[in-house]
Amino acid sequence: MSFVVEMLRIRKEFPGIVANDDITLQVKQGEIHALLGENGAGKSTLMSILFGLYQPDGGEIRIRGKQVEISNPNVANDLGIGMVHQHFKLVHNFTITENIILGIEPKRGLVVDKKAASAKIRELSEKYGLNVDPDAKIEDVSVGMQQRVEILKMLYRNADVLIFDEPTSVLTPQEIQELMKIMRNLIAEGKSIILITHKLKEIKAIADRCTVIRRGRLIGTVDVAETSEARMAEMMVGREVNFQVVKAPAKPGKVVLAVENLSVLNNRKVLGLKDFSLEVRAGEIVGVAGVDGNGQVELVEAITGMRRAESGKIMLNGKDITEASVRSRIKAGIAHIPEDRHKHGLILDYSMEDNIALKVYDEPPYSSRGLLNRNEIRRYAQTVIEEFDVRSGQGAISVARSLSGGNQQKAIVGRELAQNPELLIAVQPTRGLDVGAIEYIHRRLVEQRDKGKAVLLVSLELDEILSVSDRIAVINNGELVGIVQADETDENEIGLMMAGVKRGDIR
Amino acid sequence: MKMELNKEYVLALIAVVLGLLAGAILMMLTGNNPLQGYYFLIRGGLMSIERVGNTLATATPLIFTGLAVAFAFRTGLFNIGAAGQMLAGGLCATAIGLSFAWPKVILLPTAVLGALIAGALWGFVPGYLKSRFNVHEVVSSIMMNWIAYWTVYYVVPGYFKGPYLETESRKITEAASLKVAWLTKMFSGSYINLGFFLAVLAVIVIAFILNKTTLGYELKAVGFNRHAAEYAGIRSNRNIVISMMISGALAGLGGAAFYIGYASNIQIGVMPSQGFDGIAVSLLGANSPWGVFFAAVFFGLLHSGKGFMNAMTNIPPEIADSIIATIIYFAATSILIERCWDRLKKYLRGAK
Amino acid sequence: MLKKGMGLIIVLVVLAVAVSGCFTKGGTNLKVGMVTDAGTIDDKSFNQGTWEGIKRAGEELKVETKYLKPGGTTEADYMKEIGNLYDAGYKFIVCPGFKFETAIYQAQDKYKDAKFVLIDGSPHAGDGKAVVKENTVSIFFAEHESGFMAGIATALQLKEGEVGFIGGMEIPPVQRFNWGFQQGIQYANANLGTNISLKAENVIYQGSFDNVAAGQQLAAQMYDKGVKAIFCAAGGVGVGAINEAKSRAKAGQQVWVIGVDVDQYSEGIYDGNKSVILTSAMKKIAQAAFDMVQAEKDGKFPGGQTLTFDASNNGVGIPDENPNLSEEVQTKTAEVFEKLQSGEIKVSDQRGNLIK
Repeated sequence: MSFVVEMLRIRKEFPGIVANDDITLQVKQGEIHALLGENGAGKSTLMSILFGLYQPDGGEIRIRGKQVEISNPNVANDLGIGMVHQHFKLVHNFTITENIILGIEPKRGLVVDKKAASAKIRELSEKYGLNVDPDAKIEDVSVGMQQRVEILKMLYRNADVLIFDEPTSVLTPQEIQELMKIMRNLIAEGKSIILITHKLKEIKAIADRCTVIRRGRLIGTVDVAETSEARMAEMMVGREVNFQVVKAPAKPGKVVLAVENLSVLNNRKVLGLKDFSLEVRAGEIVGVAGVDGNGQVELVEAITGMRRAESGKIMLNGKDITEASVRSRIKAGIAHIPEDRHKHGLILDYSMEDNIALKVYDEPPYSSRGLLNRNEIRRYAQTVIEEFDVRSGQGAISVARSLSGGNQQKAIVGRELAQNPELLIAVQPTRGLDVGAIEYIHRRLVEQRDKGKAVLLVSLELDEILSVSDRIAVINNGELVGIVQADETDENEIGLMMAGVKRGDIR
Repeated sequence: MKMELNKEYVLALIAVVLGLLAGAILMMLTGNNPLQGYYFLIRGGLMSIERVGNTLATATPLIFTGLAVAFAFRTGLFNIGAAGQMLAGGLCATAIGLSFAWPKVILLPTAVLGALIAGALWGFVPGYLKSRFNVHEVVSSIMMNWIAYWTVYYVVPGYFKGPYLETESRKITEAASLKVAWLTKMFSGSYINLGFFLAVLAVIVIAFILNKTTLGYELKAVGFNRHAAEYAGIRSNRNIVISMMISGALAGLGGAAFYIGYASNIQIGVMPSQGFDGIAVSLLGANSPWGVFFAAVFFGLLHSGKGFMNAMTNIPPEIADSIIATIIYFAATSILIERCWDRLKKYLRGAK
Repeated sequence: MLKKGMGLIIVLVVLAVAVSGCFTKGGTNLKVGMVTDAGTIDDKSFNQGTWEGIKRAGEELKVETKYLKPGGTTEADYMKEIGNLYDAGYKFIVCPGFKFETAIYQAQDKYKDAKFVLIDGSPHAGDGKAVVKENTVSIFFAEHESGFMAGIATALQLKEGEVGFIGGMEIPPVQRFNWGFQQGIQYANANLGTNISLKAENVIYQGSFDNVAAGQQLAAQMYDKGVKAIFCAAGGVGVGAINEAKSRAKAGQQVWVIGVDVDQYSEGIYDGNKSVILTSAMKKIAQAAFDMVQAEKDGKFPGGQTLTFDASNNGVGIPDENPNLSEEVQTKTAEVFEKLQSGEIKVSDQRGNLIK
């Protein structure tokens, strides 16, 4: 049996944790091998070792049967290993050709021979069905196309083994279909693929074999065709998993949040959100679906007051809050589970109690006349910690940084829900969490809804949107494409809408 | 939390010991006995009640500037303008002291308050520029240093010069001085003054603000994570201005302690070195108020013991200055030591 | 945090105990100490001049010498160093410069068994009223006579053309240099057949003693206007002027600077052995410091007195060697100096109708 890549008994430690503990991964020539595990299971570490970014503390790597030492990414390149990163590394105002040849420019004399390069790229593109125009500029092409440029980069460098790191997280369902086709073409031409993912459906659809790791340990390698999704999920999580979010039909009440013709600038000072209107009622969960970077951030920050509205109105319970400060919106009942818990959600160097008090410290009984009441803050923090099962070394006085991601997120969710808000805005609330925590947070969102509160859920995970929301607003390029009832739609329709196709055009 | 404090305490001690070792090496290289050198250094700072008083008097402005820098650090700001804030405070205090013939109970508090306000104003400008126009506070506070420097240059000879000297103001009267007879007598003629007690008070107040008030909670939140602070509705721009004003006010008080306490007039053409030493004090003191206090006293001891070491040994003054600078430099690198420490631990674990 | 401070103190105390007993006391010899003013010991000015005198005394009179550098320029800083010298057994203390006036005023009472020499100042309580106690000597120099001699030498050497003056701060000693210099030029024009002009626009006080760049700029402006020689009584500002003169001299232009306080000839050297320093208006600080140590050694310390070093006791004047002055000029200058010493010529220390 010929293995193209063998990583045997790999061990890698970081201060405080064992990221990879005796992991063995063997990839056959010409297969798509999925590497499955939850966030933080050690997938990225393992692949970084293969790509030469980290050195293993133990174990060995063999490429085509020969033992090698991959001291840096250049060595990996020379061995025919290429990596398609989750976040593309492209120069935006360069053409596709220029991006691909960057660093290995073919030269004729002193001049870069772009024509030859461009011809070669065109040829590669046709061979693998990539459909790429070598002369287009990166800033003008879609995200899916950019990903194909990344693939071409690897092919141009004669990579035989391609590592795809969570390749579908930035794509619409239709683009995902395209990608799968391309991956099959690559295999047909004799390449091997390692697919890093935590999405079972994709593995089932495309992979031949699957290696599952959990908490840095190897659980096993299985034949995908013979293994059910449920079984793989169980291997990944370590117990049986219930995918279904159980919820009763929504009973929408009065309008809590009304966004009217809202336009907001993005960080590049152009309109990131255009003429956007949306209503969220009490007792319903409205999901916002869309590919990353299509205006979600601008929408959320405008509602919470962290970003100024260019035009349009934001009403909360009938009151215009367009110009209100962040704090007054918080006091008016807007809670916000932010997308980035390290950037916005927590002050990592503060203790848990100080973090939990972040939105109430300025009101009695937690402080009076500018003096903090430490006892009250601790009591409050302890209730939240208990109720939301936040686990940490020293309870309320643990430094936030020392908690695991899941517990940090639970603390944020706890803090926001403890305010008993009128409107809960949850952005990617389950990002990077294990399945158990995801279930828990989904249940909390539904509970909030059932208490008659309004919930706005923004997520890049279509599954999450579909299973948790009552209504779904689809956003593309800063514009509202349409709003659909969650129980009347499917992934396909939402996917097309995410790509900008209006509902009327589909049917 | 407790673990953290202990670690910082150990690091600061290591830094001090390393600094003393480096100074010892320098003494040996210049052919002197380091034990003898340090013996006289310490005697010079502590051997009589007068010298103890002088050590504390030397430390007093450093406590203020160290606190000023540390306070700004806690809000994520680098106040390198403590020297200018000191000058502004000192000039204001001197001007008040020389302009009014009020009784001490009124004049002295007014002068000190004036110094506080002038320092706060000098801190306000970089704070405001930062919050409003995102001008980096390092750049603007350095420029404020020179504005203060040249303001003193213009104002003192123009309005407050003595009958015989152009380069310094008239001597302030007893009524405007932080020096008080009972204290001077208690420390047998040393330069210790009420400024020291003001400094202790400032340490207590700042520790209180940082740990017990919503203002301190907000300031630290902005310092640790500006994004999260804004997310929580804390107006970080406002807090930047407040923080720089408090920091400036502290340095301004340091100016009062120096110019109407330690000295009794203000000289033109001198940028007070305490403004910059405050950075080292703050680093050694790990930005905590009491840490700053002890670091400043340590530096005060070095500065005031140096002359006696000079007088009793063959170490020339220039080398002595280098030795003191080396000790301060090492002492201020506790952060670096922390990194080396972490790396060493990692290395040891790897070796296992 | 309290623990941290305790730790520090413990370390220091242990160190102190560990080394106690290394204390050796000096002999019965006279120990002469000096506290420097702002600036370094090799400042080519007061500090250096004073220290050279003390060092000479150390060699010739076999006394122990030591200088200390204060941490700042306040009275408290000076007092601390005086205390350090005293506690270390240095009971003859020389301090250069008027900035020590209030410190010496206190020290002469506080350390009654020590002796103090204050150069270029007299002790007072901050009110300008001189109080020279029995253990103190206050020394002044007749800057106007020094400036006068520099004016004579300059006029004789240049014969005709324009000269200028750059002062530091507008303070009495600097003013006296200026006024003496002007009287010297006037005297030479009237009695020695020279034709030198000094215009009011070329008499400038820069306002500081340390702004080198400003000195360079002022000198450049004057040289551009046709000034041939500039008398600089301005510390670091003068250094800027000297730098400007050097770069012009290197480019072939003939420009001069007249130095101040000490013989600044070596400061002005360019191209090997040439110097832009025409001559210097000296205060013989080293001599004064040496004389005082010698007087103490001989038991003739003039305690309680205020001494003025002037032409009559060779305390001021131009250097003995002036490579840039011709033999003839030096002879004639010496003649004038004799007349000054004998009192035949009188130089006023007041402005009168002179420029600024």
